[in-house]
Amino acid sequence: MSKQDQYERFRQLLIRWVLVLAPTIVIGFITLRFLNFSYTALNTGILSQTIYFGFGLLFAYSLYYYGARIVITFLLLWLTYWLFERMINRLQGEFDVFYATARFQLYSTLFIFGWIFGFLLARLRWSYILIFGMLATITLVSISDTIDISLSYILIHIAPVVVYGLYMLFLSPLLTDRIEISSKKSGKLALRIALFALLILFAFIITERLFKSDLKAVEKELAARGAKNKDGKKGDSNYDERNGLMEKGGKGDDGYRLKDTMRVNSKMSQSDKLMFCSKLDNFFPDGSPAPLYFVYHYLTRYDPVKETFTRDVNVPSFDEFDVDPVNLPMYYSYTDTTIFRKSMAEKLRKVVEAQVYLSENTWKHSVLGPSSVFSIQTIPVEKDFQKTFLSGYKITSFTSELNNAYFVYNISASPNLVPIQDKRHEELRSVMGYSKVDHRFLEYYTQYPSGGIYDSISKLAFSLTSKESRPVDKVIAVRDFFLRRNENGKRIFRYTLKAGAVDDPNIPSSRMLYNFLFKTHAGYCTYYAGASLFMLRALGVPTRFTTGFAAINRSDKNKGWYWFYASQAHAWTQVYFPGYGWLDFDMTIGNEEQQGAPKPDGTPPLPPPEPWLVLNAKAESVDHKEKKLRVSFNQLIFLNTAYTLNQSFNRPVDASLCRVMYNKKDTTLAAIHPGDSIIVVSYKDAAKRIPQPRTDISIEDQVAAFPSPVIADEIHIRGKEKEKKKEEGTKKGVNQAAKKMTWREIAWMAAKGAVGLLILMLLLPLLYLFYRLIRVAMARDAAAKADQVYRTALYRLHMAGIERENETPLDYARTKVDPVFSIGFEEFMHLYLRLKYSQKIPQPGDSAAINQFANRVGFSIRKKSGIFSIFNYFNVLLALRYFRSPQKNDYEPPSL
Amino acid sequence: MNDFTKLQTLTDNIGTIIRGKPQAIKYVVTALLAKGHILLEDNPGAGKTVLAKTLAQSISEGTIDFYSANGGVAFKRIQFTPDLLPMDLIGSYIFDESKKDFVFKKGPLFTHVLLADEINRASPKVQSALLECMAENQISSGDATFPLDQFFFTIATQNPIEMEGTYPLPAAQLDRFFMKISFGYVSEEAEFDIYSNYQAINNGKNTVKQVLTYNEIIHLQAEAEKVYIHPELIKGIVRMVRSTRHHQEIALGSSTRGGIIFIKCLKAWALVHQRNYVIEDDLRDLAQPVLHHRLIFRNREASRTALQQIVDQEVNRLAKMGITTKG
Repeated sequence: MSKQDQYERFRQLLIRWVLVLAPTIVIGFITLRFLNFSYTALNTGILSQTIYFGFGLLFAYSLYYYGARIVITFLLLWLTYWLFERMINRLQGEFDVFYATARFQLYSTLFIFGWIFGFLLARLRWSYILIFGMLATITLVSISDTIDISLSYILIHIAPVVVYGLYMLFLSPLLTDRIEISSKKSGKLALRIALFALLILFAFIITERLFKSDLKAVEKELAARGAKNKDGKKGDSNYDERNGLMEKGGKGDDGYRLKDTMRVNSKMSQSDKLMFCSKLDNFFPDGSPAPLYFVYHYLTRYDPVKETFTRDVNVPSFDEFDVDPVNLPMYYSYTDTTIFRKSMAEKLRKVVEAQVYLSENTWKHSVLGPSSVFSIQTIPVEKDFQKTFLSGYKITSFTSELNNAYFVYNISASPNLVPIQDKRHEELRSVMGYSKVDHRFLEYYTQYPSGGIYDSISKLAFSLTSKESRPVDKVIAVRDFFLRRNENGKRIFRYTLKAGAVDDPNIPSSRMLYNFLFKTHAGYCTYYAGASLFMLRALGVPTRFTTGFAAINRSDKNKGWYWFYASQAHAWTQVYFPGYGWLDFDMTIGNEEQQGAPKPDGTPPLPPPEPWLVLNAKAESVDHKEKKLRVSFNQLIFLNTAYTLNQSFNRPVDASLCRVMYNKKDTTLAAIHPGDSIIVVSYKDAAKRIPQPRTDISIEDQVAAFPSPVIADEIHIRGKEKEKKKEEGTKKGVNQAAKKMTWREIAWMAAKGAVGLLILMLLLPLLYLFYRLIRVAMARDAAAKADQVYRTALYRLHMAGIERENETPLDYARTKVDPVFSIGFEEFMHLYLRLKYSQKIPQPGDSAAINQFANRVGFSIRKKSGIFSIFNYFNVLLALRYFRSPQKNDYEPPSL
Repeated sequence: MNDFTKLQTLTDNIGTIIRGKPQAIKYVVTALLAKGHILLEDNPGAGKTVLAKTLAQSISEGTIDFYSANGGVAFKRIQFTPDLLPMDLIGSYIFDESKKDFVFKKGPLFTHVLLADEINRASPKVQSALLECMAENQISSGDATFPLDQFFFTIATQNPIEMEGTYPLPAAQLDRFFMKISFGYVSEEAEFDIYSNYQAINNGKNTVKQVLTYNEIIHLQAEAEKVYIHPELIKGIVRMVRSTRHHQEIALGSSTRGGIIFIKCLKAWALVHQRNYVIEDDLRDLAQPVLHHRLIFRNREASRTALQQIVDQEVNRLAKMGITTKG
């Protein structure tokens, strides 16, 4: 091979790197990114994963591009892998704390994946179909694992793969040949890519049309959420992140999720970030505060794909209160009384009230509070505290007397808890077993995989509890297992944050837990909670993994106030005891080596003034000068009770001393326009005459007797007139606890779309006929007319069942059409060909002949095949064959 | 009698002798009108000789130089054999006793219609002797050059290459034949017709009517040149010729001369079909006889299908093309 050829070949390789490998690496990155949010096993950083994948891809592609032998290279690859594996496997026990083996497995897998991709791309012409299929499957499987599925979520995640597939489809014919960077060829390339872009655009338009309603709903949510920037910037760039629901979000997101919190856990430097503070009205009889753990989510379902437990909403007796507290309108209250039943508890229960002030607006789809929250009302934050706390709400929770933190803390932290906790255990010893529990419930909460490491965990669990029969003793045995000491009196298990990052609020994977239990004995809360979850479930004790925050009572200065910092993000287990419901058990042992500096408690925000009246009203007219307005309303909260009136009232409002707020920011009365939806709040204070609630007359009459005008202390503008519709959508969404798409809805929508497409497809041939007929009617001079008549005739005859194959139209007319229809097609063809190919002007009789023929075609077809020949037009395949070009010669340019 | 009907009578006239082969007759007449030569490849006894002879006899009033026995244009037949020498074709100088000088004795090439029978049985030397007269319409012998009549029309026949004792024609020589057609056997009905009437046909051979004159043929040849060919069709031909060069199963594509000859033949063919314009069907009808023998295929399968694919694709494109407003 000459030097020039070699250079040329190398240049071709470079071009392929850009055209093929770069997009493949990008799609690999996207897929890995997506996988990283779904699976805990991959938690080593997406970028490094992509680098390994891309390296394998580049290396293999270049190698096979230069014609490396398959068998030898794969053997070499295997040998390298084997050698490394031997080497890495020598690292055992303590050295494996950083999961070198796990990391090696991951990276080598990715490298080999990249290698195989590179091999396929270099050697197989249709490889991209394979790759596309693989990626699509991976993505779909991951999507199906997601708990909260919305259509746009699916679209957003599947779109890159589809785009990649299409891109490769368009590119692949070019790749077989030498790619020349000449003006002509690059023009062709540009055309191809432009066509591709057009197609993508088209696809997007179709999606947009088909799923407009869904996207609109998303937009509504956005409009409601993107309220921070008042100037109309909706923050579209964050679109998918915001819609990403749950804890699956991207980088550059607008704040802390629990995921981040957990990650922070391993980086002490940032852990003093305040997450929220709460006033909890829970006290011991002696008046000392009784802290409670604050729950975020439960992980209940074993996922065999991820090999760990995941969140699940289709749970028997699911007592999670699924409301998005950030997006509720001010003073909006919502109660779900079914939670009482779902919490499955009767004994030692009480109702606890709490106020929660969030410093971040990111707690979506879940209410932070002691389990089980059943009622919520949003409350404003006092003006001076608005810098620290963005929003606040009041919750009411149905909780157990046995759940206070002193009962829950692991005694390792302070042994003087032992006598306190013994009381609790004594109480629970009355529970002998789960024989009376609903078997469906029991089965769900004790589901436990079998085989391999699971069997060894369950063996361990049984060996610990061989003597115990009561559930609570089993729980204690598991706790004590973590407290064991070796012969030197040193704890076997220890607390460490460097146990391998788990950057999801999920449990570490079962492999990690196995290593934790049997090898490393070091981990932090999720390890302890995860391991005890596995063990307790193996023992048949219904258990769930709980994430949230541990409450610590640091000082008695502000009784009942608790501050929650990022480092307090915690995971523990809840065990079900019949009659008592779900009880918290925290197995995490204290950190003996390091005690974090005690965090200071802040100043509690002043409690907001208590309103006596809240009106959900519509501004009728606004008088800016007099600071008065007229409102109409039919919903109100009167002394903490919400009413909906059966008639609409119209009242003047005195807003002279009033604070006007829009999107939680202060504004002036001028911002209110007639038609706006507003909330008018009037405080309970001594200066006002506050009517007493009466039971003897109806609420309407009471309202009629309210003092007029209503003196407003706060007015919250809910939405502008033009945004009203959006607002309503949001309200609806709130009522349904945020819009969620179920699979059924998706299937239904897809089915509708498919049927629509099918009908359109069925109609297309007929539409084309109409188009042809219109063209015939439009044609003016003889030549154009002949042309249109010719095309129409060909199409109609084709659809009448006479298909032209490789013969010329003249032959077709002579041999196929005229024997059947005898419409004089051949003569017409002669005429037509004369007009088409001769330079003569049309002869006088031509127009008449053309018209005559045009009339004859439809007539004879109808006569011959009957009126039902129209049904032929629904035969899409037949119509497709009309547009197909004759068998293309299989022109394969010689490969390089 | 206009030009179209004249041609009609010519083909009809030949058709009375050559039964069941209207297409072959038209091809031969086309080659004649395109001022070209034709190569018939067939097994012995298919009627090649009779066709050539009948054609010659149908045309009356040759030029002064040479007349045939029955008054038509001159017709000569040469049976090619391996030991044939060029001088057997073109003639030689022989000593004239009376003039005491060498005079040129013209060979059988000096004729109007030449039937070169079994051309591939002669040695390449003899074959190449034909080259000049076919391409240049002249004969060189010694220092003298003798022009041939402008009518000069060669019908060569050859046995299928596979048969023994043959020298395959070199590509250069094949390229000079405008068309190569294969006679093939006639249909069952035609064969029955021939057997039933062989006596009459035999008699007819000697009494072929002279339906056209020499001058009329020359005129028709000029007319054929004037046939209109649409630019789109020329584009189609360009694409066809070019794609024969790029087709992966064709080792050697068509030359530019092949393309020119194709156009000439198309025009003549249109005239034979009584049109003064070429249509897309003509492309399809003529592509095989005109182009096929110019190509070298990589395998047998390709030799059957490759050209057809190219033609089908192009004709289909033309068929779907609308009427262009500009004539």
